[in-house]
Amino acid sequence: MDLGLNIASAGMLAEQTQEDQLSNDLANASTPGFKASSSVQQSFGDMLLYNTKTGQYVGQIQTGVDVKKGATDLAQGPLDPTGDPLDFAITGSGFFAVKTANGVQYTRNGQFSKNDQGVLVDQFGDNVLSQNGSPIQVGGSGTVPGTALGVFALKNPSQLGNNNFSGTATGRGTGEVESGQLEGSGVDPIQAMVQMESALDAYTAGQQTIGTIGQTMQESASQVGSIP
Amino acid sequence: MLEGLYSAAAGMETAQTQLDTVSNNIANEDTPGYQAQLLGFSDLLYTTDDDDPSTAIVGSGSTAQTVGFSQTQGSIQQTGNPLDLALDGSGYFEVRQPDGTTGLTRNGTFELNAAGQITTNLGMELQPPITLPKGATASQVSIAADGTVSVNNQKIGKIQIVNVTAPDKLLPQGNSVYSATAASGPITAAKGVTVQQGYLEQSNVDLDSEITNMETANQAYDMGSKAISFESQFGEIAATLK
Repeated sequence: MDLGLNIASAGMLAEQTQEDQLSNDLANASTPGFKASSSVQQSFGDMLLYNTKTGQYVGQIQTGVDVKKGATDLAQGPLDPTGDPLDFAITGSGFFAVKTANGVQYTRNGQFSKNDQGVLVDQFGDNVLSQNGSPIQVGGSGTVPGTALGVFALKNPSQLGNNNFSGTATGRGTGEVESGQLEGSGVDPIQAMVQMESALDAYTAGQQTIGTIGQTMQESASQVGSIP
Repeated sequence: MLEGLYSAAAGMETAQTQLDTVSNNIANEDTPGYQAQLLGFSDLLYTTDDDDPSTAIVGSGSTAQTVGFSQTQGSIQQTGNPLDLALDGSGYFEVRQPDGTTGLTRNGTFELNAAGQITTNLGMELQPPITLPKGATASQVSIAADGTVSVNNQKIGKIQIVNVTAPDKLLPQGNSVYSATAASGPITAAKGVTVQQGYLEQSNVDLDSEITNMETANQAYDMGSKAISFESQFGEIAATLK
């Protein structure tokens, strides 16, 4: 089959994935501590071309693009003062840790509250952990100093949903905890809309390329060799 | 590729929930003792895209749920009515709901029923009940900061101010009345709360931030519908391929 068809269709699939990710980003424009999945397109490995008779190196050719995962944009979101003493935000790098039924997970969403035991929990009722991994007791005045919360540096953070990330904790993160604030979503809705538009344009271009290649193939099949 | 359509739709539902909450808070801006409802947002599960299983993960939108009620002190306004009571500090009045269960409220608009008992404006009696001696009128009632009720300098009872460990987990029963739940913890005596006679605590709804939230939710709704139209154009284009 024509290599151009493969290149165009790989490009279209990549644009489709990007559109789906942008759609998810946009839906989370109000989720505190959300990090946008900026999809990074990368080209497939180059193919080397050789002369089949002499084996002589001719050159190289690219075969389109692919979307690679792990492209979460961890940039600092804007701080939003809420006045709630149990809302926390990290300025700088690092994650809060919460103990879920599926093990310890990490989050940048510090919208916490206390449970019936007076222990600091996230909105799903999971305990927030201190730097040494123990639950945190809310004081009698209904507050917790920011320093009581653990901030963990995370290797290979990957989004899981419910505001949480998986990853390997590698000690203390460099960020500082601020109380009475939430970190806003990292999504810039305007930018996401523009990117959706440009993904659509690229997708349309891919479709037209396929159409053109199809036409060329049709002409070569029906006209080459026919006597005018 | 349907993931994107569903994510956008989930985002629109989130915006709708936020609009509902905002409307409820704004509608109760003038309800004494009303505590603004707080929303928590979260993203949903991530999956590997069917289009390209080897690589990219794609999320499935967002959701919003009520995570509690603002514990900020509402502003306290003088009314001069002897049975208007404001709470200063974190706690609730304990009242008897029509079904006999205990309710908690910060709405301090109290009145007297036919039997001379102090009740809320919806007829729920204070717990434990406080009954005025026969012939006594509301204007003879004086209530001290600790809740002690006296008529003509004679002590007749004490208003209990209570609290729970996790007020965010109280169950709203309507009319600013809440019930304790297992998640909120048991009802215990509140500490450091004072009662102010002749005053009402206004709702703690912050109108400015509610209106900002309403704008945000409106925009999110619009953008969600744009995203759906983008996604459906993808579908249309894919369908023209031959």
